[in-house]
Amino acid sequence: MRYFLRRLGYFFLTLWAAVTLNFLIPRLQPGDPAEIMVKKLAGKDAELDPAKVAAMRAMLGAPDGNLFQQYLAYLKQLLSGNLGVSYTYFPSPATEVIGKALPWTLILVGVTLVLSFLIGTVLGAFAAWRRNSTFDSVATLGSTFLGSLQSFWVALLLLFVFGYMLGWFPTAGGYDESTPGANWAFVQEAVMHSVLPAAVLMILGPIGWIMQMRGTMIMNLGEDYIRLARAKGVPDGQIAIRYAARNALLPSITGLAMAVGGILGGQILIEQTFDYPGLGRLMGQAATAKDYPLLQALLLLTITATLVANLIADLTYGILDPRARKAGA
Amino acid sequence: MALLDVDDLVVRYSPKLHAPLNAVDGVTFSIAEGEFVGLIGESGSGKSTLANAILRLTERPGRIASGTITFNGTDITTKSADELRPVRWRDLSTVFQSSMNALNPVVRIEPQFRDAIELHSSLRGGAVVERIKELFDLVMIDHRYIRAYPHELSGGMKQRVNLALALVNDPKFVLLDEPTTGLDVVVQRSILENIRELQRKQGFAVLFISHDIGTVMDLSDRILVMYAGRIVEEHTTADLLERPLHPYTKGLLGSYGDPRSETVRITYVPGRPPDLSQPHQGCLFAPRCPERIERCLSVEPPLLPLVPVLPLNRGPLEPAPAQPFVGSVMTPRVACHVAQLQATAPDTPGLPAPTRTFQGPEFVKTIDESEGALASEVFLEVKGVSKVYTSRQGFSTREFTAVDDVSFELRRGMVAALVGQSGSGKSTLAKLITGVEKPTSGEIVFHSSEGPIDVAGLSGSRLSRYRKLVQMVFQDPYSSLNPNKTLQYILSRPLKNHRGLRGAEARAEIDSLLERVALTPPDRYRGRYGYELSGGQRQRVVIARALAAKPELVIADEPISSLDVSIRAEILELLHQLVQGSDVGILYITHDLLSARMLADEVIVLNGGKVVEQGKAIDVIRNPTDAYTRTLLEAIPNPFAAHPPVEAAG
Repeated sequence: MRYFLRRLGYFFLTLWAAVTLNFLIPRLQPGDPAEIMVKKLAGKDAELDPAKVAAMRAMLGAPDGNLFQQYLAYLKQLLSGNLGVSYTYFPSPATEVIGKALPWTLILVGVTLVLSFLIGTVLGAFAAWRRNSTFDSVATLGSTFLGSLQSFWVALLLLFVFGYMLGWFPTAGGYDESTPGANWAFVQEAVMHSVLPAAVLMILGPIGWIMQMRGTMIMNLGEDYIRLARAKGVPDGQIAIRYAARNALLPSITGLAMAVGGILGGQILIEQTFDYPGLGRLMGQAATAKDYPLLQALLLLTITATLVANLIADLTYGILDPRARKAGA
Repeated sequence: MALLDVDDLVVRYSPKLHAPLNAVDGVTFSIAEGEFVGLIGESGSGKSTLANAILRLTERPGRIASGTITFNGTDITTKSADELRPVRWRDLSTVFQSSMNALNPVVRIEPQFRDAIELHSSLRGGAVVERIKELFDLVMIDHRYIRAYPHELSGGMKQRVNLALALVNDPKFVLLDEPTTGLDVVVQRSILENIRELQRKQGFAVLFISHDIGTVMDLSDRILVMYAGRIVEEHTTADLLERPLHPYTKGLLGSYGDPRSETVRITYVPGRPPDLSQPHQGCLFAPRCPERIERCLSVEPPLLPLVPVLPLNRGPLEPAPAQPFVGSVMTPRVACHVAQLQATAPDTPGLPAPTRTFQGPEFVKTIDESEGALASEVFLEVKGVSKVYTSRQGFSTREFTAVDDVSFELRRGMVAALVGQSGSGKSTLAKLITGVEKPTSGEIVFHSSEGPIDVAGLSGSRLSRYRKLVQMVFQDPYSSLNPNKTLQYILSRPLKNHRGLRGAEARAEIDSLLERVALTPPDRYRGRYGYELSGGQRQRVVIARALAAKPELVIADEPISSLDVSIRAEILELLHQLVQGSDVGILYITHDLLSARMLADEVIVLNGGKVVEQGKAIDVIRNPTDAYTRTLLEAIPNPFAAHPPVEAAG
């Protein structure tokens, strides 16, 4: 119980620090964003019109009071779910913009992540159990080869072959003419649009899991308790699954939990390549357009998701590995 | 019919990158029901390979190349895993070496017993728990640990649990592979007694494998001695002590001395075991053997029963079949030309006279030597030193007194031994003296040749100058020596850092250091790498490195405990020679009272951070006044106490 409380404490402490940094960093940047924007609109050499600057401030939601008061106001806004207004999608609030992109990424990256984890872990465990077999060599060499490929390169290749040459799949966007919602036409289009990005993720995704699982399991297979299990007369299949794979799974599960946190960061390169309407593409756009409120909101979302995922990883690790509970307490 | 019959077994390793070798070569022996057999062998002798082969756990690149293993009337040499399963743990169980990891760390102890029971018996549910409770009673572990995780147990408790696990199905045979190595002497002692008692009560047969001839002799009825993958001698324990046949056995026995006698002699076997991947001719022990005759260099001696008189001129000796062990009478077997000839043709010209001691180099320590050292000048004063560690957790602080009001003096040319179990504070004391840690109270004064130094007050450059005066020799020469550097480089570092020697000056000094630690001629060793050396040679380099700084105090922390028994005396002698007639003092940290007696003039016994006994080594050993010292003394495996030798050692 103590272990869990401690973890929870760390979680809130880190979250608070992240939120505070997210508040401070833009304010530490030189220059007044309103002035910069007015300058940008009016041209470099034009005189700054104080009225225009004031108007711009009002439009952006100018902060009042000293830094501490601003900080309190910021926290209050955060708690009420107000993350500011996006510049590029003005006047939509950042949360709304994100809310639209979120399901796309969540489904695409989430599904492929879970599948990659399952496939990778099973393949890795099997490669370790049949170490130095043909299967192991193919899995190891194949993983090393595929792992050295860049995701956008694979994405372009698939796009070229299956999108342009063969024309099997659409080349951009998330859907064509249908209205987003729970209708059959839309679901069909969305699935067709997701096939290629998902394929890229499924080609590259399992590699890490294969390597991780194989490595840990080979190490575990050398442990005395595996030898003892053999000496006990435990059947091979049980040794592989209940002893070696179960123990080797622990680090992978931590990895999975952390990767789940990474889902919300989206897959910037892949989403950009396929012009897929997810969070990754949105982040890319926000960064190029200097859409600070949107970028800040996205960052906050990613950080929070990562922290929550880490917390879950820590907590489940405590359940799975009794040694962690003791070390932490 | 013997319970276990191993016949001409060969286990071959064929690694991809190295030459193949037979780690076990032509091993033949048998064990009867209820018999307790010891197997002694040093690192690399093939004893663990043999153990794995018997358990059919040999892993690639090793495999059983030829020979048979018959267990309980069935040939199990080539049985498949499925065919073996019913036998495993039902009749044949084991306790592994370093069983710290033999229990699955993420599973409670109960299910680990449960699967061993349910796989091989009809017990289920509550009956299983009852059985586990019975077993925990046998090994004297509290029932509440049944639901514990392995990491919640101490090393000794884990090993007891492993023992209980081995006995779960009332096996006919238990293989114990170094079951207590790495445990504290006192804990080791109580576990071994527990094993022997259970074996007598329950009547299972045991093959007890250890590198420590003392513990093997304490427990076993019969002993097999293994060297370079072969059994070189088989003997009952009492006879082995009285009439050891193989010179290697004599060497192992010679590494024990009686710590109570005025003059203690211990021998050591020079050289190192052969590289089995190289082609060889003749007896594999011959290069290290003081008794060898010409025949030893050309013909490999087979393991033969000693008694049958076979005239030599009838041609090569044929190996006789292994004889089952009957009661306490057995025909010893030995793989040695000299021993065989001494029994069958004693008047062969050139044959050395029979002897029961090892005729090789020995290390002798007399009382008189200590008298001189105890009168020389005091150079290290430890006065009322305490060290309290505080650990903070939340708002509560916990205090732990590692060293509690310890005082002693060290004189030039003297060896003082700090003796104690792990956790007794001896290593903390070493850290205080080297200035790594500061004492909480008390004072450490080092009277160097340049005046007194208050060790606790040192910092910065004065501390690093002080470190030149105090050098360490660590326990494990394998990890304290960079294996990828040449000896020249390793030794040049302290010469440069502490004494500013470079170039030709440094080279001359390196040569003289190598000579001092008997790695001669220096030309042959200067360019060698750490990994090319044996454990004993590495420890010599570590000592040479400590001496390079010209220290006035050498702290040797368990310098021999990771070395093979047969070469320990070699390092003890080297340390002994260092202090003889020199200004250097040695603080020898150990858990082993025998080696303390061999090396030290004064013994300081620590328990729980406090000095419980202090005095001249011989006095402490002969008349221990403290109960803890007596416990430590009794824990020394002493074959000579259990089976008093016919004549005094030597």
